[in-house]
Amino acid sequence: MLALIESATLHGVDGRQVVVEVHVSQGLPAFTVVGLPDAAVREARDRVRAALLSSDLPWPMRRVTVNLAPSGVRKTGAGLDLAMAVGVLAAADVLAAPTTEGVAFLGELGLDGSLRPVPGTASLVAALHATQVVVPIESAGEATAVAGTRVRPASSLADVVGALRGRRPWSDVPPRPTPSNAVMPDLCDVRGQTVGRRALEVAAAGGHHLLLVGPPGSGKTMLATRLPGILPPLTEAEALEVLRIHSAAGITPPGEGIPTRPPWRAPHHRTTDVALVGGGSAWLRPGEVSLAHAGVLFLDEFGEFAPAVLDALRQPLEEQLIRIRRARGGVDLPARFVLVAAMNPCPCGDGSLPGSCRCTDAMRHRYLRRLSAPLLDRFDLAIALGRPEVGDLLAGTPGEPSSVVAARVAAARIAAASRGYRCNGELPGQALDELCPLDPDAAALLERRLRAGTLSARGLHRVRRVAQTIADLDGVVGPVGERQVAEALQLRAVHSSLVSSTWR
Amino acid sequence: MSASTSESNAPHAAALASLGGSPATLRRLLDGYAPRAAWQAIAAGRHPADPDGRYRAKAAAPALEAARAALAKVGASVCVLGADNYPPALASDPEAPAVLFCLGDPTVLEGRARVCVVGTRAASHYGLRVATDIGRDLAAAGVVVVTGAARGIDAAALSGALAVSTGAPPVGVVGAPLDTPTCAAQRELWANTAASGALLSELPPGARGARWRFAVRNRVMAALAHIVLVVESHAHGGSLYTVAAARRRGTAVLAVPGSVHSPASAGSNQLLVEGARAVRNAEDVLHALAHAARERGYVEVPGSDSTAKACTGRGPALKALAPWVRQVRMALCHDPATLDDIVRRSGHNVTDVATALEHLADAGLAVERGGWWWLPPG
Repeated sequence: MLALIESATLHGVDGRQVVVEVHVSQGLPAFTVVGLPDAAVREARDRVRAALLSSDLPWPMRRVTVNLAPSGVRKTGAGLDLAMAVGVLAAADVLAAPTTEGVAFLGELGLDGSLRPVPGTASLVAALHATQVVVPIESAGEATAVAGTRVRPASSLADVVGALRGRRPWSDVPPRPTPSNAVMPDLCDVRGQTVGRRALEVAAAGGHHLLLVGPPGSGKTMLATRLPGILPPLTEAEALEVLRIHSAAGITPPGEGIPTRPPWRAPHHRTTDVALVGGGSAWLRPGEVSLAHAGVLFLDEFGEFAPAVLDALRQPLEEQLIRIRRARGGVDLPARFVLVAAMNPCPCGDGSLPGSCRCTDAMRHRYLRRLSAPLLDRFDLAIALGRPEVGDLLAGTPGEPSSVVAARVAAARIAAASRGYRCNGELPGQALDELCPLDPDAAALLERRLRAGTLSARGLHRVRRVAQTIADLDGVVGPVGERQVAEALQLRAVHSSLVSSTWR
Repeated sequence: MSASTSESNAPHAAALASLGGSPATLRRLLDGYAPRAAWQAIAAGRHPADPDGRYRAKAAAPALEAARAALAKVGASVCVLGADNYPPALASDPEAPAVLFCLGDPTVLEGRARVCVVGTRAASHYGLRVATDIGRDLAAAGVVVVTGAARGIDAAALSGALAVSTGAPPVGVVGAPLDTPTCAAQRELWANTAASGALLSELPPGARGARWRFAVRNRVMAALAHIVLVVESHAHGGSLYTVAAARRRGTAVLAVPGSVHSPASAGSNQLLVEGARAVRNAEDVLHALAHAARERGYVEVPGSDSTAKACTGRGPALKALAPWVRQVRMALCHDPATLDDIVRRSGHNVTDVATALEHLADAGLAVERGGWWWLPPG
């Protein structure tokens, strides 16, 4: 009269094991669900009953109680439908008890008994201990990436029951689709913009955050969209993390394989802070910073974002994860991304230099005041872009293709990895002296800049990290030289004009 | 027109100017009346310049009291056209304001050459630098710098003139009431101008400003000036109102040439095309002033020797540089350029150019601000 079925629900981007306990007893016919279900879980009663009847399976005309253990944790989503249906069948002795032994179930039921995919399958499967995991056939590829041969795909409740009774085989795991060969935008389309291309390459090699300032049409977006194409492909661990996060947010198209390219997220400037950093009332959905994990977060029209939204970025930029806390619980979501921001230099967008448009100093100042100095400080690279020369646009020589740049980036990352960190952007400040020594000329240059007040103490660390990345890119072995430091200073030069209140 | 501005007349003059009429209307209201008499005539409905009683409703006792209080709070003096304390430099102008409100000492205008320096509020580094230099050197040479005391070129010229301790004090003619600077920086600039020279306005303290007042104010600057100098003006900039007012008066207009690519210089360069005299520095302005004085019999013009500058030799510093650094310097010019421009012009790679620029900046041969590079003047 009692059946215990293993399943899981989603919490942030992690799965949590849930045991669905079904009890069928004498009494007036009723179906109750207890154990902190949310609305979607409570509505499962109607779906489960209809699905059983549609699949020509008997519904017990007795009192059915479902408890979702552990009872103190909130359960969300429709992923427990299948486990409840199988539990009812087992508790009503329609299925013999041994058939469900060591099998876990995931999936949403339709009224016709069909099985539908649920968000976060990868995380849910990872949380299960059973030797066999039944999943909707659309999620089989994703589940296999995590659970391998334990996965049992099925397309309907009738399939599941038939296979459990041994009357028909489980469906085959559909072949893993070849990684999508979608054409990535290539750097060879970018004409001119020598400094912009260089900054992009340095950003990719060192994982440095990049701020692009320039008038409309200067190619800010064009450059930024080409960053994922020169970043190294995801490692296996990163790919699984990305898969879990995207699946939990419900945005991986079902049937697609494991991601190999870094994700690219470009939210609109009216995005709210919850949408950007994640959260929500019950589900604690990952935000854009987590969806961009191991990839690129591109914020176009940086100056148009609400100041509070931008300042919410400070913690993830510093700690590479976002801690979301609510009264009912909290999660830590991964958020390690390269931030690329693009903005106009002034409200009208046209004036790269004072006097070249009608915006006065006060108007520029008001425009830039939306960006807090602590946020701007987190950009290692900040460059001004101008509109490309007509000659560059029309002359037939295409720029260097992404593949060549990506090869240099990969080599630089290998050099950086020898220091024990993933990339130079993650080097802690106190380790710089030991890991990235300066030669005397470079030290003298930095000292001059510090004494002149054109470089801050915080800026010093950023410049040293970037200089090390430039040295890695150029194959310089040994201490960082004056040339690398000079270039690093220039690739951050715009920063001072944004932070200081006025040009005069 | 009335003969004197006694203490008791000042609030009436301020109240009349607060009625909101144009400068021409105010002149008609005070034509043949002392301020107190004009006020009483309007209030009684028998002023010939107010036949339809438009101002009668506004000419009430509370308005007079408000004007009196605002005047006392700011401490401005009141000059009524025709009174003894009205600046003689302005009195003969056909469009002279009927009433002027003044902080500081308006007599600094007398017995000195006066140059009106105007230009855009959205000025370039170049324009600001030129305005500051010319303002400073003119003041040092004993020329009164007259400006609109707005942001940009006006502020640069004023602060240049204020930086000189022994010279002619500057004068600001503002388009807003004397108690309404737009920001803290302007408040400070106005206070310094009033403390050193004078700050004039057609609007009484406490009155409501309006956009059109700024354009109308420009005629006062043109009327005060022996010469009008446009440092930098956009194609349809407000400075061109001052130019038009100067031309109506036959006052010479000078302009500082700017880059033909710079929108901030589009208006001033157009003046040059139309035949305005080009000037590079205060010395050129003084020459033009001497020329105008000979032609039109103005006050004596101070000598220009005080503006001579020492020529700094760049030769030795340049020779000490490596050839490739010199090549990068060749790619620099006096117009600000981005790193990208310099890379393109010089043909060197980003690392080389960045290193060369650091060397040049260290030797004082290049100037950088916010990612823009240019050659230092001289």
